[in-house]
Amino acid sequence: MSAAPAAIRCEGVTKAFGTRKAVDDLSLELPRGAFLSVFGPNGAGKTTLLRMIATLTRPSAGRIEVEGVDAKEEPDRAREAIGLISHNPMLYPDLTAEENLLLYARLYGVRDPGARVIELLDAVGLKHRRLDRVRTFSRGMTQRVSIARALVNDPAVVLLDEPYSGLDPHAIEVFDDLIASVRQDRTFVMVSHDLEKGLRLADHVLVMARGRAVAFDPKDELDEDEFRALYRSTVGMGVA
Amino acid sequence: MAEREKQERARRSDAPASPRSELCARPSALEQYRVLLMKDLRQELRTKEMLVSMGIYALLVIVVFGVALSFARPGADFLEVSGGLLWALVVFTSLLGLNRSFSHETENGCLEGLLLAPLDRGVVFLAKATSNLAFLAIVEVIAVPLYWVFFSSFAAPAASAPLIVVPLLLGSVGIAGIGTLLSTITASTRGKDVMLALLFVPVVFPLLYACVSATTAALAGGVLMEEAFATSLALAAGYDVVMLLASWVLYDFVVS
Repeated sequence: MSAAPAAIRCEGVTKAFGTRKAVDDLSLELPRGAFLSVFGPNGAGKTTLLRMIATLTRPSAGRIEVEGVDAKEEPDRAREAIGLISHNPMLYPDLTAEENLLLYARLYGVRDPGARVIELLDAVGLKHRRLDRVRTFSRGMTQRVSIARALVNDPAVVLLDEPYSGLDPHAIEVFDDLIASVRQDRTFVMVSHDLEKGLRLADHVLVMARGRAVAFDPKDELDEDEFRALYRSTVGMGVA
Repeated sequence: MAEREKQERARRSDAPASPRSELCARPSALEQYRVLLMKDLRQELRTKEMLVSMGIYALLVIVVFGVALSFARPGADFLEVSGGLLWALVVFTSLLGLNRSFSHETENGCLEGLLLAPLDRGVVFLAKATSNLAFLAIVEVIAVPLYWVFFSSFAAPAASAPLIVVPLLLGSVGIAGIGTLLSTITASTRGKDVMLALLFVPVVFPLLYACVSATTAALAGGVLMEEAFATSLALAAGYDVVMLLASWVLYDFVVS
């Protein structure tokens, strides 16, 4: 591995639930500004890996660094660099969009939370609905507020866990445009079952099976046909 | 080995002092506590889910007690059971509220959203325990006088009766604290309502016993007041300190 600072560095990361290893001795290093798509069958350990990087789950062994900070030893410092978007919007349905974002902005210590929230709601096209309760929003609108929530602390690393789950084609299009507009210098890690979309967005790909990395490559070094064959055979392994 | 150490030093020296964006300052725990508490209060005042259900439930329990005691003869003996009945009302009502208090956090994965923030888990516990205490106190302010309106014909309490506020306060603090921890544990379990009751009642038993004793002593007055009141309050206060500290320390483990 190179000595240059990486956005995310995993060294021998293992997560065991009892005797079962959800992630087994996984190592990878992702440069800043990269977009990593993680593929694999159900139970391959993709979400567990993402949750460990997000500091929501502690690894049983190994080391994870986010922006040079040891996520196991200093989780609070690592969290300052992380935003997570998943199929769960993590928004309180009975609070308005603005109240939800203000809550998170203040928890992260955003210096001017009011201005930051308006800026983000404008960016996701929901400024005009800022005073409406999240409960009244469609799934696509809720996911847009969720993107604003994940970006409220201006994170260097954005983690996406099946973000397209439950979205209709139009909402997916809007979501992709939003992600493209906020990509800038951020590092993205996306767990997805959608091979085409994952490949289109990514510049790095990781295929996991039974908790292990089957392949981890920069996309420009990939032979896409070989990769698709590998993906099909890996997913064909079924539940790991 | 030397090369590896050299690489590690180079990597660390190149690593940022803080990965925090310039848009953010280091958040204070007090501000985070205030923000989380206001979030709970705002949600509840908007939906009134907990307050309405706890209030109605308390009223129904009082009515059931009234029916259960309808053939009892008025007399001073009633004061010796009234403390226990009052605490049965408080415990059952608080169980209902505690079960609901965490439903907002599990809906939409909101708890994970909080845990993603650079936030001491103890702050989440303290904010949630404070809001639970506030809601329980609001219901008690309505239900306890109502309880006495219903049962005032049975017996006149002693002059020391207003002192029941002290065991009510100590008991409510303990119930809110340990209840918050246990409701977090049971929030994602199957049959969480029953599970919370199964865990809560045995754990809170020493506090309940002390509070029933102190409440009965204050209502009955006389020798009982002199002998049991202060001792029971000391036991309740000790329980609160130990259990609140334990809950605060254990909360990180529980939510992780």
